[in-house]
Amino acid sequence: MKKTILIILALVTVAGGAFAQKSVKLVIAGRDGDYGNAMQIAVDAYVAKNPNVSFEVLKLSGDDVYQKTVIDLKTGTGTYDIVLIDDPKAMQYQQAGWLVDLDAMFKRSGKPVDSDFISTVIDLCRYPNGPKGRLYALPFVGNVSLFAYRTDLFTKYGLPEPKTWNDVLVAAKKISESDPSIDGISFRGVKGNPILTAFLPIFWSFGADFLDAKGKPTVNSPEAIKALKFFVELSKYGPKSTPMNNTAQIRDGLLSGAVGIAPEVWPAWLAKLDDPNESKVAGKVKVTKHPSDIKKSSPMNGIWHTAIPAASRNKAAAFDFLTFLTSKETQKLMVMKAGLPPSRTSLFEDADILAKYPWYPAIRDALESSVARPRTLYWAEIENTMGAFVQEAVIGQKTPEQALNEANAKLTQILK
Amino acid sequence: MLTSGRANAKAPFFWFIFIPALGVMLWLTIYPMITVFLTSFQDYNYISGSRSWAGLANYVDILGDKVFRTSFINTLVYCIAATAIEVLLGIVLALMFYGEFKGKSLFMILMILPMMLSTMVVSAVWKTLFHYDIGLLNHFLQLLSLPRAGWLIDPNMALGSIILVDVWQWTPFAFIVVQAGLASVPQEIFEASVMDGANYHQTLFRVTLPILRDQILLLILLRTIDTFKVFSKVFALTGGGPGNATETTSYFIYREAFQYFKLGRSSTASMITMIAVAAVSGIYLRKILNTKEV
Amino acid sequence: MASFVTTKKSFLFPILMLAMLILCLFPIYWIVITSLKTPVENISRIPTLFPQKVTFENYALLFKEGYLKHVWNSVFVTAAATILSLVLAFLASYALVRHRFPLKLNSLFLIWIILAKMLPPVVLAVPLYDMFAKMRLLNNLWGLILVFQVYTLPYCIWMLFGFVKSLPLEFEEAAEIDGATQLQVLRLIALPLIRTGLAATAIFCIIVAWDEFLFTMLFIRTPDLLTLPLVIVNFIGEYETLWGQLMGIGLLATLPIVLFARVVYRQMTSAYSLGLK
Repeated sequence: MKKTILIILALVTVAGGAFAQKSVKLVIAGRDGDYGNAMQIAVDAYVAKNPNVSFEVLKLSGDDVYQKTVIDLKTGTGTYDIVLIDDPKAMQYQQAGWLVDLDAMFKRSGKPVDSDFISTVIDLCRYPNGPKGRLYALPFVGNVSLFAYRTDLFTKYGLPEPKTWNDVLVAAKKISESDPSIDGISFRGVKGNPILTAFLPIFWSFGADFLDAKGKPTVNSPEAIKALKFFVELSKYGPKSTPMNNTAQIRDGLLSGAVGIAPEVWPAWLAKLDDPNESKVAGKVKVTKHPSDIKKSSPMNGIWHTAIPAASRNKAAAFDFLTFLTSKETQKLMVMKAGLPPSRTSLFEDADILAKYPWYPAIRDALESSVARPRTLYWAEIENTMGAFVQEAVIGQKTPEQALNEANAKLTQILK
Repeated sequence: MLTSGRANAKAPFFWFIFIPALGVMLWLTIYPMITVFLTSFQDYNYISGSRSWAGLANYVDILGDKVFRTSFINTLVYCIAATAIEVLLGIVLALMFYGEFKGKSLFMILMILPMMLSTMVVSAVWKTLFHYDIGLLNHFLQLLSLPRAGWLIDPNMALGSIILVDVWQWTPFAFIVVQAGLASVPQEIFEASVMDGANYHQTLFRVTLPILRDQILLLILLRTIDTFKVFSKVFALTGGGPGNATETTSYFIYREAFQYFKLGRSSTASMITMIAVAAVSGIYLRKILNTKEV
Repeated sequence: MASFVTTKKSFLFPILMLAMLILCLFPIYWIVITSLKTPVENISRIPTLFPQKVTFENYALLFKEGYLKHVWNSVFVTAAATILSLVLAFLASYALVRHRFPLKLNSLFLIWIILAKMLPPVVLAVPLYDMFAKMRLLNNLWGLILVFQVYTLPYCIWMLFGFVKSLPLEFEEAAEIDGATQLQVLRLIALPLIRTGLAATAIFCIIVAWDEFLFTMLFIRTPDLLTLPLVIVNFIGEYETLWGQLMGIGLLATLPIVLFARVVYRQMTSAYSLGLK
């Protein structure tokens, strides 16, 4: 009896699997949230024009997409036809030879690589980075971190537009002290990637860096310590829940009017900023690139690459979708419908886009001024390590000096 | 057991039915463990594929790694605290609700619901309750004019919060196990003790608990094993934070293997964990196996 | 021995019962009402004990987005893994109880079973992943059923061993004298006698398999094949904590198991009784 059930179950599963097949099926290992929405929009648009292609779009967290794609590409399983790669991790994929050479595919298709892509962005897609490297990916989104603040509150308390980080501290303090119902500043504090991403624009513009000219870790340099001390000071004017705050909390905080300054925001979070149905601060927030300190404004470059695994069994179809995905029309569609920033220069001058998101030129500024994270095979570990130590300093478990000294020791060990 | 004369003729049958399970267990546990053992002595980066013999270097490294040590201590604290609280509460509850009373069946059935929920579901709802700004627990604290607590944010509280979740989920298990044992003790034993002039306390400690000794030891063993493996709750509730407050060995191994892809290190951490678990459980095992015939 | 609280007739007792029940069941109550609240109400800074507005939109969304498929995956994998474990475990337990294998294999195997139960599964994850990848069993429900044996098989063997051990030999010996083959004794005598033990073991096996998270997360690469625990985790995502839908799916993931509560209670009580009566 039980055996019969088993056999029936087996038959049903197989039958179910058979029915689900179409001519070409592309599996995309993508991100969740707004990135997932944007990808879905692009996929739907493509399927409308190419009905014989079906898609399975995975919407995974950043960690998950990294882990799954690495394992899949390493074992050459070929489950995925298109993968999304976080910029700092791109080198691992490129160096290991897991990705299809797109220069070759472009040549074969007779089309040139578009010169419309913003140069800082497309250079990162090449390996080695720079205009002469081989192209291994196309930029899915021109993502860069941005700075947002409440113009109405700044006017109310007579604060000037923040040009340096010190201006930011003064403003955050003033707002917090004047109005207890508003957090002067709010940034992500979850350990690892979130808090580090919030910290890096400050880190870099205070003149600190991860590696020195010889490639040795210098995260405990005097500039770095100064930056972390500043960051800890800044956190005093943020909500108590900062160590648990991630994207949803910052975005909700800003849109509900509870936050005065959000020093790390991403374009995708701001899609609804000026929509009066979703945001209580429509028209009251200015988005710019980050303030500077000794060094220039240093927004963190956070593009996502889309690439084709060498093990994919549908390379030609994947390439066709890839060029569609990054085409001008599709990118414009994703901007208008999902708020995902484009990676093409022309779109930053597009009238429709500027009408909907008047602050978009800030993205282009930020992208052109952006700093990319160091190219290393060990970024995941470095990011987690730094992120853990930065958080320890912010929650007061260690002094900034202690935290950074220990971090530097750990980084030296990792990079050995 | 069988006599030796007939044993040989019957043996093939028993081998035949034993081998499938034996095979699956060997294949799924022994082979991987040998691999882990061997890899623990290697420096193996999965992404670059570089693999080299490192001898005991990994062990020195991991044992000296502050994050690993913290994770180990956290796991021990979690294991001991959760087990102790659950077993004690289980005993207390069993004593409190001992005997027959109206609605007992229904009461018991409702009490064991927490342990039947999937761990992810439990983590999800407690994450909601623990939320600093919109969670119910902080809301109650505020109503009582107390300051809000950083259940999952405060590094001093976070581990305790996860222990709380485990206690909520598994005390019913302890309750029902002790309850079952208690209920199966014939009334006469207690009546005899009362007739001998013993009061409640004396009966409890000299009669009841000794009878339940093996039961309780088994319970402690089961909960120890289970809590030592903690992973899903940490994954869903805190991801090891804040700081390293809720790092556990399982999470450490997971991260080394699946985020850093340093398989040598993750194997070494695994080996160290396994040795610890075997040692701790060995103590209980010896006690239990002595009284139970294998 | 009287209860800790002197008499059941004291008015304290029902109050105590109620207090315990509230502590135990409150989170479950929270799951239910959160799933019935609107998204706006769920993120408001003042949590409400009763929904201001009861809505089924969360469930509607769940069904629309095809979560039934994941329920099916969970059911299928759990049922198949349980059946497989029960079969293997029953056969092995019977052999271990009724036959003395050479080289102390009996004791060794049983100790190994206990050790296997103690292993944090993540320890085995990498080599098992490699092995399954080579055998092309990744991203495949059958592969999951197989790897679930890491959890379920030791558990079932441990439990069934106890049950088989308590079977009186007389029935089997009588059958043998009557000329039954070993297989017939196994099938027609031992198996029926152990029915309740099998049921108890099955239920625990189901609970364990239903709950499994780690291997599913690592082995399943495409979203169609995900089981419920993973869907739940995906909801606690970086961008949106859709509390209403999360709890809705939590409830759906719980209901099938909760239906067994009564049986679990009965089985556990008899399984853990000391048999002194």
